[in-house]
Amino acid sequence: MKDAILALLAKEPAHGYELRARLAAALGPAGGALNPGQVYVTLSRLERSGLVRSETVGQASQPDKKVYELTPDGRDQVETWLSDVSWSKVAPVEFHLKLVAAALTRLADPVALVDGQRLELLRQLHELQELAQDEPAGSEGGLLIEGAALRLQADIRWLEACEQLWLEKGPG
Amino acid sequence: MNGISGPVIEARGLVRRYPGEPAPVRAVDGVDLVVEPGEAVSVMGPSGCGKSTLLHLLGGLDRPDEGEIFLGGQQVDGLSETEWAVLRRRMVGFVFQAFHLVDELTALENVELPALLAGTGRRTARRQAMELLDRLGVGARAGHLPDRLSGGERQRVAVARAVINEPLVVLADEPTGNLDSHATGEILGLFSDLGSAGQTLLIVTHDARVAATADRLLTMRDGAIVAQTRLGAGVPANALADLLDLGGA
Amino acid sequence: MIRSASLALRLAQRNLRRRPWQALLLLVTLTIATGTMGLAMSVYGSADGAWNRVWRATDGFHVSFGAYHSPDDPGDATLVADLRQRAVALASSPEVVAVGGPWTHLYGQLAVPGGSEDLTAEVREPGRSPVDQPRVTDGQWLGNGDGVVLEAGLADTLDLGAGDTVTINGRPFPVRGVAMTVSRGLFPLSRPAQVWVTPDTAAELRDVGLTEEGFELQLRLDDPDDAAAFLSAHPEVTEVPADTSVVAFTETWQGRRAASHSDLDIVAGTLGAAAILLALLATTTAAVLVVDRMAAQTRQVGTLKAVGVTPRQVVAALLSEHLAVAAVAVALGLAIGRLFGPRLAASSVTLLGDTETPPLTLGRVGLVAAVAVVAVVLGTVRPAVRGIRHSTVRALSSGPRPPRHPGRLARLLQAAGLPLPAVLGLRSAWRRPSRLLTNGISLTLGVAMVVVAMGLKPSLGLLHSAPAEPGEAASAGGIDPLYAQVRTIVLVTAGLLLVLATINALIVAAFAARDSARNHAVLRSVGATPRQTTTALIVSQLGASALAVALGIPLGLGLWELMDGGDLPEVPVPAANLILLALAVPVVFAGIVAVPAWRQARRPVAPVLAQD
Repeated sequence: MKDAILALLAKEPAHGYELRARLAAALGPAGGALNPGQVYVTLSRLERSGLVRSETVGQASQPDKKVYELTPDGRDQVETWLSDVSWSKVAPVEFHLKLVAAALTRLADPVALVDGQRLELLRQLHELQELAQDEPAGSEGGLLIEGAALRLQADIRWLEACEQLWLEKGPG
Repeated sequence: MNGISGPVIEARGLVRRYPGEPAPVRAVDGVDLVVEPGEAVSVMGPSGCGKSTLLHLLGGLDRPDEGEIFLGGQQVDGLSETEWAVLRRRMVGFVFQAFHLVDELTALENVELPALLAGTGRRTARRQAMELLDRLGVGARAGHLPDRLSGGERQRVAVARAVINEPLVVLADEPTGNLDSHATGEILGLFSDLGSAGQTLLIVTHDARVAATADRLLTMRDGAIVAQTRLGAGVPANALADLLDLGGA
Repeated sequence: MIRSASLALRLAQRNLRRRPWQALLLLVTLTIATGTMGLAMSVYGSADGAWNRVWRATDGFHVSFGAYHSPDDPGDATLVADLRQRAVALASSPEVVAVGGPWTHLYGQLAVPGGSEDLTAEVREPGRSPVDQPRVTDGQWLGNGDGVVLEAGLADTLDLGAGDTVTINGRPFPVRGVAMTVSRGLFPLSRPAQVWVTPDTAAELRDVGLTEEGFELQLRLDDPDDAAAFLSAHPEVTEVPADTSVVAFTETWQGRRAASHSDLDIVAGTLGAAAILLALLATTTAAVLVVDRMAAQTRQVGTLKAVGVTPRQVVAALLSEHLAVAAVAVALGLAIGRLFGPRLAASSVTLLGDTETPPLTLGRVGLVAAVAVVAVVLGTVRPAVRGIRHSTVRALSSGPRPPRHPGRLARLLQAAGLPLPAVLGLRSAWRRPSRLLTNGISLTLGVAMVVVAMGLKPSLGLLHSAPAEPGEAASAGGIDPLYAQVRTIVLVTAGLLLVLATINALIVAAFAARDSARNHAVLRSVGATPRQTTTALIVSQLGASALAVALGIPLGLGLWELMDGGDLPEVPVPAANLILLALAVPVVFAGIVAVPAWRQARRPVAPVLAQD
């Protein structure tokens, strides 16, 4: 989140409200789930780290607002972030270990765990798709939903493979 | 949609066997099933689990060895080919993985066919078919033969054909199996729309995204239904935020 | 090269094993053709053995020389005398080892039941002749005493033997004996009737009005194979002025043998012609099988192409498969010929003894093989090559043509009140013109066969009732066996043609039904009843049968003209029958098509769709 906010400031300085609006637009339907306060908290953290500085601007008929802009360090950070190609969460290590542990300790049936997780993911996929239904085709926000849905699909497929393997392994 | 009370589909103890070594294979092994009007139900399972066979049985494309099937309250498991054909006109619309359009008929002619068979006047049938094709976004291809259409277009024509008579239920067998991801997305949207409009759907699929459009999910394994889940249970908004990893950092 | 051959062989082997019924069907149609040709080959020349035996036993001639003048014109006596001189001069050639004659021929009338027959009486000195001493089969040869010796065929026909009496020009003469010769074919196929008489009896014959009509001289050479050369070395022997009515001719022993069994030749010729027609039918069978195979195994073809197997190799595989079937058909055909040929030939009226199946020369085997091989090659290569060039199933079965005026024709038809299945059927035919063409042409041959068959039967009647020429009474004993035999052959051929035309129609129908199986399953899944899909199929085939009628009837009439050869009177196929045929073919074909279509339509939809 903080890198995204930095990057949004790269174009021009903006105040918190504008940033929040830009972020929400980028996230599309998921923007509604965004905690409103989060943006301001992130901004103050960035300020403390020296990547951003703020200025209070007086307005004629409205209360003063804080305008934020990038520092040179902040600009460097943005460039680094944009050219970074690391990807988050490639392998579901945690769940995999969960299954192995369950089989070893006999505390739970791996197949049942897989089934349960699969159904949960399907429910989530269902929700995502309901959200996506109202999005016009080709919207940027819709793309985010699409990304999430495809990953869920991939995870579900992996879970089906898990089910196959753990079924064959049999109990114990 | 046909206004009926009571379940659209009801099946009890369905069994379908195929000869095999050392014992006959039970493709469908004692399936009970109920589908209510307006429901969208999906059936998932590994290949060979019998889900396609189940669909064929429900639509009369295959005959059960044991069990009973009721469509719209009418018992159908013992009907002859001719009786099934007449029944299908108004009760069942099919969407197949391989599209199965009549290759010598244009898209328009394919879509109006069920209407003509059901006795609709030819002018009315043609108009209805054209409207449907327009609504599904393939109106410009109405005069083309199927081999000139892309996979996605063909499937959309097939969906139009399936719904022109406003059937009791649309049975779809791996509708996105032969489609690329873009076309899959289009069909997903179509099915969602159909579901919202109140069309009863039964979709057999191995694609999670297709399955997830349904309200209810049946899981099949080795010819039997092993699980039933409600999908649209309502997930709170902050769970969504977690899902999208929007919290923090 | 070897690799590709072995690949082709392996493919062929696998396909043969997987689809035995199709191979069997091809085998049956091919065997009918090769069997017919095999019979023809067995019959043709099967009388030669017996003829040769009699020829050797009677010291038969190597070359013969004869001269004839019409009985009403004895004015050319000088010319005839001159010819006689030339003949005798011939006899002193160095190659000649024996001379028979010259024997005078007298012309008269022999009384037979129902009228009279032209008679030739050959005047022989009593005693043994060094050339052509006929073999006595009853009674005795000429000697002291009167009486005539009858030629064997004549005696058989009139059921006469030694001790009986014949009436020549009104006077009875005792029959001294019966003898067999190779100088003539057997009566009644060879006319005029012949008897041998002594000079004394000849004088009596002249008394009752027999006139001299010519003579014959026969020679034996030191090498019988020189007969033809000898004759071509002495052309002057038969030279006569153009304006005279005298006829002089020579003959070799081989020529006489070849001309002595015209009934067997007719039989063999008929069988041969039938075999060619049957082979043509087999061609269409092979072609239909290939198209079906290509359509059903496109995946295989596609896979093969993908792994680098060339189209040529695929065709080679198909061809070798069909050729293997053809090889079996040839063997079976030859076996059929050898098994049944003798039985068939034995009913000949020109046999001088038991039939002998002629040896299997390269030529005879070659003809039988050619029948099968040509049929297979023609029927396999072109469809296969066309099928492989297009790489998709739809192109293989010539995908439907997009409508130029979308739905206009159909709307017209629907407006005309045609039920939906009929409209669907017509649309199907209209949009797949090459399928219509293929089916139509396949059926055409069948229709042509039926037309030929229709012409055969009445022409027989005409043969039988042809007015007897003066001097040839329809002697019941001799003529009927011949006609009966030809009639059997002709009727069997006609029957075979009809059967094969039906098989051909069945094949075309079965494959038409199979072709449309998927589309009809789809139709049923959207609510068309089995009756509706069957109707659609029938309607869609109407075009093909109409085409078959339009092309087949002229083709059949044309084939008839060819086979006719001018011997038989004008084509006796009445127009009314042809019109009936034109109407019957579509109806019958519709019925044939309905059977597989109906059977298919009553089966559940799912399996058919799953095959896609």
